Amino acid sequence: MSSICFYFQVHQPYRLAPYSFFDIGSSKEYFDNEKNSLILKKVAEKCYLPTNRLLLKLIEKYSGDFKIAFSISGVALEQFKEYSPQVLDSFQELAETKCVEFLSETWAHSLASLYSEEEFLLEIKLHKALIETYFRQSPKIFRNTELIYSDTIGTLIAKAGFSSVLIEGCDDILGWRSPNFIYQHPENNLNLLLKNYKLSDDIAFRFSNRAWQHWPLQAEKYAGWLHELPKETQTVNLFMDYETFGEHQWEDTGIFNFLEKLPECIFHDKKYSFNTPSEIIQEYQPVARLSVARITSWADAERDITAWQGNNMQKSALDKIYSLEKRIFEKNEPEMVTSWRKLLTSDHFYYMSTKWFSDGDVHAYFSPYTSPYEAFTTYMNCVNDFEKRI
Amino acid sequence: MLGWEYPPHISGGLGTACQGISIGLAKKNHQITFVVPHLFGSEDAPHMQMVGVISDSLEKDTVRPLQQQKSKRRTKSKKIIRKIKIKSLLSPYTNPTQYQMSYEAMLNCTGLKSTEVEEYLVDDTSKREDFIKRVSFQSYGKDIFLEVERYAQQVRAHFAEESFDIIHAHDWMTVPAAVLLSKVKNIPVVLHIHSLEQDRSGAHVNQQIAAIESYGMSYAQRVIAVSHYTKQIIQRNFTLAAEKIHVVHNGVYQGKVREHYKKPKDNKQRVLFLGRITMQKGPDYFVEAAAKILPHFPKVEFIIAGAGDMLPRLKARVQSLGIQKNFYFPGFLKGKQVERAYALADVYVMPSVSEPFGIAALEAIKFDTPVIVSKQSGVSEVLSHALKVDFWDTKKLADSIINALRYPELREDMLSMAREEVKRVHWDAAANSIDDVYKSL
Repeated sequence: MSSICFYFQVHQPYRLAPYSFFDIGSSKEYFDNEKNSLILKKVAEKCYLPTNRLLLKLIEKYSGDFKIAFSISGVALEQFKEYSPQVLDSFQELAETKCVEFLSETWAHSLASLYSEEEFLLEIKLHKALIETYFRQSPKIFRNTELIYSDTIGTLIAKAGFSSVLIEGCDDILGWRSPNFIYQHPENNLNLLLKNYKLSDDIAFRFSNRAWQHWPLQAEKYAGWLHELPKETQTVNLFMDYETFGEHQWEDTGIFNFLEKLPECIFHDKKYSFNTPSEIIQEYQPVARLSVARITSWADAERDITAWQGNNMQKSALDKIYSLEKRIFEKNEPEMVTSWRKLLTSDHFYYMSTKWFSDGDVHAYFSPYTSPYEAFTTYMNCVNDFEKRI
Repeated sequence: MLGWEYPPHISGGLGTACQGISIGLAKKNHQITFVVPHLFGSEDAPHMQMVGVISDSLEKDTVRPLQQQKSKRRTKSKKIIRKIKIKSLLSPYTNPTQYQMSYEAMLNCTGLKSTEVEEYLVDDTSKREDFIKRVSFQSYGKDIFLEVERYAQQVRAHFAEESFDIIHAHDWMTVPAAVLLSKVKNIPVVLHIHSLEQDRSGAHVNQQIAAIESYGMSYAQRVIAVSHYTKQIIQRNFTLAAEKIHVVHNGVYQGKVREHYKKPKDNKQRVLFLGRITMQKGPDYFVEAAAKILPHFPKVEFIIAGAGDMLPRLKARVQSLGIQKNFYFPGFLKGKQVERAYALADVYVMPSVSEPFGIAALEAIKFDTPVIVSKQSGVSEVLSHALKVDFWDTKKLADSIINALRYPELREDMLSMAREEVKRVHWDAAANSIDDVYKSL
């Protein structure tokens, strides 16, 4: 038997309100509550609620044989509570089936692993508390923001007490090796679960691409690819944004039908079972140690962190916000700490990326801004106001 | 190709654009005869034949026949430029202030209905003369119309016996000439719209010029607009089939930068406006934005380079705001001075009220200066790496200028991306598109 591990990332940032130089010192609210609530409700309607309903149906249909894993960022959970409690209810309903594992991540979906060990550990604690409260399970396995990982970060994750971490199965890291096995950190007893990016991205990115040779992708065809894999395969890790269902790939692309039919097609022969990351770690032994010398992520063709840290604006904004860490904790005002954390969310820096911003390719990624420059100035003006308040 | 000016004797972007377009087309093996009212002798155009057709007396014998020139081309140099001594009533290019004065005065002339303008354009010589007589009653205004009509007559006189495939005309001034020659020769007209009367004059549109534009566009087989922005204005204000209007963005030539300038290390930050000081270019919004910035950043210097009818009013406004200490008005700049002004600025602002294209923004980037442009400009269609504001939103403009000055990392990133982007905004690309338009005829 081999395993299929479905893992979905659920995240929504606190987007900023327009913030000009003239707003600095005006005690204007940084976060655009109205917009955030609106977007959350829209995504809830298109993705979270219908997909949760479907997954619950599948879990019930296969009486415990269909399993999945989620990681929901702290900022997303907070917004569910605030703007759409029924989304939270539906995740809780899934948690009660015992077929759903919730993973650990940073509360703010931040880049703290690259900037501050202290903040990294604090956010993990904060997030863990939320998961325990809402879902009555304690997360055992870690996934870092955007699957950002390196040997150094791995050591940090082991130090935080985790036995395993989800990472990207980059070609340059794996070489001739396959992502469909468990590996281990070169020094720590940290298990590495590698994303099979080809099979994951077939669903997450290529599913609705009419220029793709396999369009339209049917569940039968996809299950066929899985069945073609060698029988020694330990696990096929299908990691993707949860918003793939209904938001990135709209309902009319047939994505829900695909998901609904897939378990049946996979169960068709007895080769695979669906398992959660924790089960997989117990089931299989790591086959080798794997060193990740560079910082990897699941973003772009490069699978690196240049989408968040690639230009001067991003570096400067990141340096600035983390430079306030010491002072904000000395100040010790919980509300200000929370605001600061919300400003750590990686999306703010992603919006400043100039990587794809040309040739009218603006819509290649989701941004509430008309340009990366507007993203930067809005952010910096907020941070400058924030600094004045400390 | 019927033009109105050519570098270095230019009053705005039209001459520069004609240079870029003609060089690009010449590279594609088009043989171009470029006609202007006057030649000054310093035009550098080895890629084509240049002809200046106007002489004050309208006497034909002051101009050598074209045949003669052609033979000269074969035998001697590659550079073919004819110098013609003229005694014109109007030499608009050497002194832009004066040109602007005449131009503004011309805008005020009323008297002809658009139907009469049409009659003038379509009909015979007697009515043409009548038209000129009537506009001649207006002070100043007669100059430009007279010039336009002379140009038309001379173009017909010189080229009636020549053989061409296409008449490519630039802006309204060349419309009468294009129409006249096209009728005589029965060859198609491509009318290239670099700017419209509405852009230049806003609410105070000269109806005669608008009528010439209208007739020219409906007469022409193809219309080229320098931006989607201009195409939209054409579609909004003129009845013209959308398929007939082709958008061809202007370009810039790389590698023209001969001298490198270093930004002065004097901790003073400079914000530049460079362009005609007219309503169209929005210098007043620049001043209002400055007034919002200076209470917070009292050391910033604002430079308004250029000449135009709004200059006295603008200076008075700066005085009344009490911010004259932070303003510098160097007047009309030429050649190297322009390059230096771009290079020394920390940010270039183009707050145009209505800008068909706006090549200046691309020029500024060539001299390593990031730009802020109004959304009411064609250049904002090809330039994503700029800050963009609505021209009327002076608070947003002030905010954008402050952001650009405060955050060097913003300037660096915007500029390095814009440099790459500008490389793709090339005259050769424009020439390719124009070539396609020719082929569609």
